[in-house]
Amino acid sequence: MRILRRSAIAVVLALGACIGAAAGAEMLLDDPAASLVDSAPAGWLGPITESGRTGWNCAPEHAATARTASAAALPHD
Amino acid sequence: MLNRVAIAAASVLAFAAATAGASAQTYTAPTAAPRTTDAAALAAQARQREVHERFDRGVGAEERGDWSAAATEFRRLIVLDPPEPKGSTARYDLALAEIHLGHLDAAAALLEEALHRDPRFAAAAANLVAVHLRRNDLGAARAAADRFVAFAPESALALYGRGIVALRAGDFAAARSDFRKLIDTDPSYAVAHYDLALVELRAGRDDAARTELEHALALSPAYARARFALGTVLMRGGKRADARVAFDRCARDAADPALRALAIDLRDRL
Repeated sequence: MRILRRSAIAVVLALGACIGAAAGAEMLLDDPAASLVDSAPAGWLGPITESGRTGWNCAPEHAATARTASAAALPHD
Repeated sequence: MLNRVAIAAASVLAFAAATAGASAQTYTAPTAAPRTTDAAALAAQARQREVHERFDRGVGAEERGDWSAAATEFRRLIVLDPPEPKGSTARYDLALAEIHLGHLDAAAALLEEALHRDPRFAAAAANLVAVHLRRNDLGAARAAADRFVAFAPESALALYGRGIVALRAGDFAAARSDFRKLIDTDPSYAVAHYDLALVELRAGRDDAARTELEHALALSPAYARARFALGTVLMRGGKRADARVAFDRCARDAADPALRALAIDLRDRL
């Protein structure tokens, strides 16, 4: 009896998942723009040495203040 | 007799050649010996030396991805309390180690401390925005991004970070303004056009969104997410055949398997 009940619950859960997935796909077809995600946050700027910020060659500071996306190492997609 | 003179002359010439080489060699200046016996001065010199060594070891550990070892060095450095800009730099470096160890709250606190010590520390400001975004704390991310833009208004990282925060928070006016400024500064950045398109889509301006997506795809034809977004705009506009072409191209260009599966599903349903 217990096994039968467990099997029934598993079947109901599986059916629910299938119905949910189908409903999700239908919703997506109605408005696929809902699935669009914005681009990723910028990556981490790297370590800075003891003299990095007193010298002229501090790569993370240069990247943080750069005006172009490539110099700032912004995400590509 | 003549033979001995010849040997002596050859020896003198060989010696001269050897010493000429030696005199051309340069040596680094020796480290200055401590000219004090004062205990406080000697302790200060020892502390400076330790600061130098800990920075070297900590940065070396970070460069080889040994974040635990790096954290140990920078924690000790903070106890040593070096003057600026080393104090804020040590906190920045420790925050970087904490980020990679998965301690985002600790990293945020350290970056705040670094910025309290040096309010124009741009790299700390940039990483703080990214930390808050990953913590999904949009309020803190917005405050950090506003502060960053205030002192670096032309920084691509500052504008991009605040644009993403505003877009996620639904502040479309601020997001539009920041992505527009980023595009004005760097028109070749396709991702800014894509994010601006999302702003326009969510604000219900599909025509403006389509224009931005076309710009993004002109700059980067294999940009799969922009191609997918264009397909959705076309679909919303009732252009099912064009949308199908866009989803088909997206399915071929996408490196992300989830995006590829979604594009195939939508293409096949049209």
